[in-house]
Amino acid sequence: MKLKPAKAAAEGSASAVETKQKKKFFEGGVKGLIKKYENLGYKAKKKVYHFISRLFIYFVLIEMAYLFILPFIYIFSTSLMSSQDYMDPTVQYIPTSVNWTNFVKAYQALDYIKSFFNSMGTSLLSALFQTVSCALIGYSLGRYKFRGRNLLFLLVVLVLLIPPQVMILASYGMWAELHMVNTWGPVVLPTVFGLGLRGALFVMIYMYFFQRIPSVMDDAARIDGAGPLRVFGIIMLPLVKSAIAIVFIFSFVWHWNDNYEAPTYMYLEGKQTLQPRLANIQNYFNKYASSQMMSELDKALSEPMLFAGCLMVMIPVLIVYIVGQKQLAAGIERIGVIE
Amino acid sequence: MKKTVKLKKKLAHSKRYSLISFEKRRSLEGLVFSIPWLLGFIGFVLIPLVLSVRISFFQTVLTDLYGFQGTSKFVGINNYVKVIQDPAVGQTVFESFGLSLAKVPVIVAFSLFVAVLLKQKFPGRTLFRVIFFIPVILAGTIMTYLFRDGVGQMSVFSSITTGVQGVNTFFGTVMSNIGSIMWASSVEILIFLAALQSVPATLYEVVEIDGASAWESFWHVTLPYISPFVILNCIYALVDSFVASDNPVMSIMNSMTQTGTKYGQASALSWLYMLATLAVILIFILFTRRWLK
Repeated sequence: MKLKPAKAAAEGSASAVETKQKKKFFEGGVKGLIKKYENLGYKAKKKVYHFISRLFIYFVLIEMAYLFILPFIYIFSTSLMSSQDYMDPTVQYIPTSVNWTNFVKAYQALDYIKSFFNSMGTSLLSALFQTVSCALIGYSLGRYKFRGRNLLFLLVVLVLLIPPQVMILASYGMWAELHMVNTWGPVVLPTVFGLGLRGALFVMIYMYFFQRIPSVMDDAARIDGAGPLRVFGIIMLPLVKSAIAIVFIFSFVWHWNDNYEAPTYMYLEGKQTLQPRLANIQNYFNKYASSQMMSELDKALSEPMLFAGCLMVMIPVLIVYIVGQKQLAAGIERIGVIE
Repeated sequence: MKKTVKLKKKLAHSKRYSLISFEKRRSLEGLVFSIPWLLGFIGFVLIPLVLSVRISFFQTVLTDLYGFQGTSKFVGINNYVKVIQDPAVGQTVFESFGLSLAKVPVIVAFSLFVAVLLKQKFPGRTLFRVIFFIPVILAGTIMTYLFRDGVGQMSVFSSITTGVQGVNTFFGTVMSNIGSIMWASSVEILIFLAALQSVPATLYEVVEIDGASAWESFWHVTLPYISPFVILNCIYALVDSFVASDNPVMSIMNSMTQTGTKYGQASALSWLYMLATLAVILIFILFTRRWLK
C-alpha cells in the first residue's frame, strides 16, 4: 500500500524528466537542432548524416519500386476478375470472386502450345548463339590490336544505330527469295554471326568486360604454350561469367518480347510467336462473343482475358529472370569494378 | 627438280610463317576472331542496306521487290520528293524528334539519380536493383497494353491518381508520363551503375579529407569522372526513342508497307529518317566532344 504513491511519484518524476529532456531536445526549434548538429563530434556527425541519408534513400526507392511493382499487381488481379468485376468501378484490385475461365479463354486465343513452342525455340536458340558469337567479336575488339580494328568498332556502332525499320523490307525480300519466311531462320540465323536483335549492344558489353581483364592472365597462358582458342575458351570466358549471364538473360528476354521483327517474318497461323497473338488477342475474343464487329463493350469485356494472356506470356521470362537473377545481380555488382 | 623447288618454296614459306613476328601473329588472331561477325555483317546488314537503297528509287510491286525483273518502275528520286512534300509526314517527324529530345534529358537525369541511390551500401540493395529491371521483362506487347491511353482505357499509372476507372485527369496523364519515363530507363540505370562503380574509391577519400560534402563530391568527382557515360546514355536513350515501335514515324512506315504499293516510299522515308537521326546524334557528339574523353 505504501508503495503505490511512491511508485506514482517515481513515475511522475520520470515523466517530468522525460518532458524536460524533450523540451531540451526541441529547444530553439529547427535552428537549435542544426546548432546541436554542428556541435557534435566528427563521428557522431557522420552517424547522424548516415542515418538521415539512409532514411531518404529508402523513402525514395520504395516510392519508386511501388511504381515498378504496381503493373504486376494490376495484371495479376485483373486476370482473375470476371468481366462484371472489371466493369464495376467499386471493385479495385481485389476481385469479388476468382475467375479462372480467363486463362482458359486466353489459352485458346493465344494458340498457346504452338505459339509458345515458336517463341521458346527462337528465343532460346538466338540467346544461345548470341552468347557465343558476340563473345568472339567482343573478344577480338577488346583484347587485340590490329589494322582495321577501329573501323570494325565503327561498324559495330553503326549497326547499333541503324533502326531495324530501315532494313526490314529489304531483308524480308531477301528471306522470301531464300524461301525462309515463316521459319525460324530469319530470326535465328543472324544471331549465329553475332548480329540479330541488339547484337551490337551485346558485342559492346563483351568488349567492355574483356578490356578490363589484366593482360597478365593471357600472357601467362601464352608463355605456357596455350593457343589462341585455348586462351579464349579456358582462360578468358570463365573470367567474364557475369557478362555471359547478362548477355544470355537480356538476349532471351528481348527476343521473347520482340514484337517487331519476329512477327514480320513469321506471320502465318501456327507459325506465329506469342507476341503478335497477344497483340491481337481481343480479336480472338470476338469468336466467343455474339456480335461480329468488335464493339467498345466487347473490348472492355475482354480486358480480363487480355491480362490473363499477358500473365501467361510473362511467365517464362519471369522464370528465367528469377533463376538468373543472382548471376545478373552479381554481374551488375561486378560490372565496372576495377580489380 | 621441280618438286624440290616447290618443296623449297614451301619450306621457305613455312619458315617465314614461323618467323612471323609476335605482333603480326596476334593481329592475325584478332582478325580471325572477328571474321564470323564480318561475314554476318555483309550478309545481314550490308546487302539489305544496299537493296533498300535500290528499293527507294523504284516504284515496286511485291513480286519484283528489287526491280531486277523489270516489272517495277524506276522513278529516280521521286519517292524522296513525295515523302518530303507530304506535310503530314514532315509534321510527324518533327513532333517525334521534339518529343524524343525532350524526353532524353529527363530519362538520363532520372537514371543517374537512381543509379547514385542504388550504388550506396544499404540492406536490401540487391532487391531494389532487381526491381528496377522489371521493365525489361515486361517490354513488348505487354508494355503497350500497360501504357495505352484511349477512350475508356487508361494506363495503369494514371489509374493511381484517379481511382475511378475510365476517367483521365491531368494528374493521370502526368503520372502516365512519369511512368513511361521510368520504364524507359532500365538499361541506362545499368550503364550508370557500371560507370559509378568504376570511379576509384580513393578519389572520394581524398575529397572527404579535404572536407567536401557528399553534394560537392558528386559535382566535382563523380560527374566529371563519369561524363563519357552520361553522353553515352544520352545517345542510347536517343536511339532507343528514335527506333521505338511506338514512335509515330515507325507507324507511318508500317502503314505504308501494309497498303502494298508504297514500298519505295517507305524505304525512302526510312532512309531520310535514319539520316536525320544520324545527323542529330553526330551534332550531339560534336557539341559534347570535350566531355567524351
